[in-house]
Amino acid sequence: MALRSVLIVALLALASPGFAQDRVQVVTTTTDLRSLTEAVGGDRVAAVSLVPPNLDAEDYQPKPQDVLRLKAARLLVRVGLDYDLWVDRLLAQTGRPDISRGGPAYVDASFAIAVLELRGMSVGPGDGHAHGSGNPHYWLDPKNAETITANIVEALARVDPANASIYEANRQTFLARLNAKLAEWETKLSALKTVPIVAYHNSWPYFARRFRLDVVGFIETKPGVPPSPSHLAEIVRSMRERSARIVMREPHEPERDVAFVANKVGAKVVTLAASVGALPKTDDYISLFDVNVEALTSAVAKR
Amino acid sequence: MIEALQFLWPAFLVAICLVGIHTYFGIQVLARQVIFVDLALAQIAALGATVAFMLGHPAQSMATYGYSLTFTLLAAVLLAFTRAWGTRVPQEALIGVIYVVAAAMAILLIDRAPQGAEHLKQILTGNILTSGFSEVAVIVPLYAAVGLLHWLLRHRMSGGGALVWEFIFYATLGIVVTSSVAIAGVLLVFSFLIIPAAIGVMFAESLSRQLAIGWIVGTFVSAAGLAASFIFDLPTGAAMVCAFGASLAFAGVLYSFLLGNRRWAMRSTIGAVRWIGAVILAASAVQLAAAPRADQPLMDMAEYAIPSLRTLYFTRAEAMTVADASEHAERYRREAEQLNEMERRNRTQGEALDDFSVARISSFLKSYGEMRKGEQFVMGEVRARARERVRWSASFGLLALSLLLAPVRWRWPVRK
Repeated sequence: MALRSVLIVALLALASPGFAQDRVQVVTTTTDLRSLTEAVGGDRVAAVSLVPPNLDAEDYQPKPQDVLRLKAARLLVRVGLDYDLWVDRLLAQTGRPDISRGGPAYVDASFAIAVLELRGMSVGPGDGHAHGSGNPHYWLDPKNAETITANIVEALARVDPANASIYEANRQTFLARLNAKLAEWETKLSALKTVPIVAYHNSWPYFARRFRLDVVGFIETKPGVPPSPSHLAEIVRSMRERSARIVMREPHEPERDVAFVANKVGAKVVTLAASVGALPKTDDYISLFDVNVEALTSAVAKR
Repeated sequence: MIEALQFLWPAFLVAICLVGIHTYFGIQVLARQVIFVDLALAQIAALGATVAFMLGHPAQSMATYGYSLTFTLLAAVLLAFTRAWGTRVPQEALIGVIYVVAAAMAILLIDRAPQGAEHLKQILTGNILTSGFSEVAVIVPLYAAVGLLHWLLRHRMSGGGALVWEFIFYATLGIVVTSSVAIAGVLLVFSFLIIPAAIGVMFAESLSRQLAIGWIVGTFVSAAGLAASFIFDLPTGAAMVCAFGASLAFAGVLYSFLLGNRRWAMRSTIGAVRWIGAVILAASAVQLAAAPRADQPLMDMAEYAIPSLRTLYFTRAEAMTVADASEHAERYRREAEQLNEMERRNRTQGEALDDFSVARISSFLKSYGEMRKGEQFVMGEVRARARERVRWSASFGLLALSLLLAPVRWRWPVRK
């Protein structure tokens, strides 16, 4: 009798949603997608990001553990748009058709996103991206989180149908919180409406569109290629002309080149995080925007 | 233009300082046959800075500099010893090992680092274009001190002395390279170190003459590289490295004319040029005959330079199809650009586009991209078919040209 009750208790414990083994293991390529997956999954998912928060996801070098993580995953969420191409090779090594392109547990989070700056192969004057499929930094528009989380919830419902309604409820709660925050960010950033900004790399078109920021130029016109003298002169000239007073850079971008341009025109350098965890206190998707909005508004206030 | 020149002349000043000290060290490095030692030392200094960062010191603090310096000095001890060990294994091999292990250790550390350790790679990727007077103010006293020390110890620095002199040599080189790599980047510093020195060694025996030649060449080539970077709108460091490479090639040719047998040099140069031309023509002929649909580098380059060459082998219908497709492709590109531009302007001007309109623009852009790809496919296909048609006649023509160019005396077999 005692044995039986112990067994029942043990089975109940195993069946309870909080039990670690029962959580849906989700692998994401970036920390932003991990944060969004956690937002909709709550305590029913255990999400892990392959790229650590401090590294540039565009030239990430996968580690052996990453294959194991993918082997144990029930769901894969990736950025797509040629941003995390390295994951395709990992998936081929893992040999799991269900989490590979076309499989039921494969999420390309860029699905149904309105992509900006689509160009054919090397078309037009280069302004920062070799991506044939458009600019991939779409998670930097908080409004796009609606589409991204919808993609994630749809796939979660496929691999864990029993909890589908919970995921959707979590998503609604998260979106309500995000929308309230969005209104707050928009008010704060309205102070920057007339402030022309220069960025080191073209990572910010979605962010700029949502908050109506005027990004007038980029220091680095092609990823990984240092600027030429005439391009730098052109940037400085247009910054003087339009009295741009802010230069945005990400933590991994060269400090000296940015400071050089900023000093020429007396502009302020603002370091922003393009991904969750790239700067202190950017622990989740919402605090990522909190930190960036704070950095930008305080730069304008000090002017 | 004047603005761009304003950027260039501080960079030129920095280049002169770097040429000054690196030509001297380059001559010593060539004599010791430790060509890649600067890469190893710079990588060790970066490793030191990474360790400092891991321990919580900010990137540009004295503590970080101290760690870099300590690591560089330790590496100098190691390098001084490698000459003694390097009896069976060349010293260069050990230097290579130091370089790769230091680079790999830095990667391992960064992988475990807290936020933002990536900016440490900036230690190895300086950009001479964005350097200026603040750098000059730091490096001039430093390089002057190092130069003075070497002048005082000039009889000890020949490379054959005791370990302590070797240690001083590598330690001072390490200090110089660590600062210069942060300013100009690994590639350019390597060129500053080796190429002017190599040209000096090529043309002179005594150290003072080698130095003078190296300094003059280094200064002129730096100016030429900077000018090329400005005129052709190129990344500055890479343009300068290529200018240095070209100067070495030119010096090599000049050497054989000035110091060798002039007639022999002339004959062998012309012979080499003719052989190279003949081989390129023959290879193009074979490529065209064997795979007319594949890339034809020679034909592609010729057609790129003189587009009217195509009329030689295109039929009238083909020429019209290609012209039509090219016009359409250009139109789609322009329309896509206009849409992109409209969306970009709308981010700040006028009523904001709603998400639905942006999605529509996005799908239009996708279609334009596909249509352009289609037109480009048509152009490629027409050209491939035209080349397939003329493959035999054209490749025989190329082969004939190649035989004409080859420096071989063609004679009819003569009967006795």
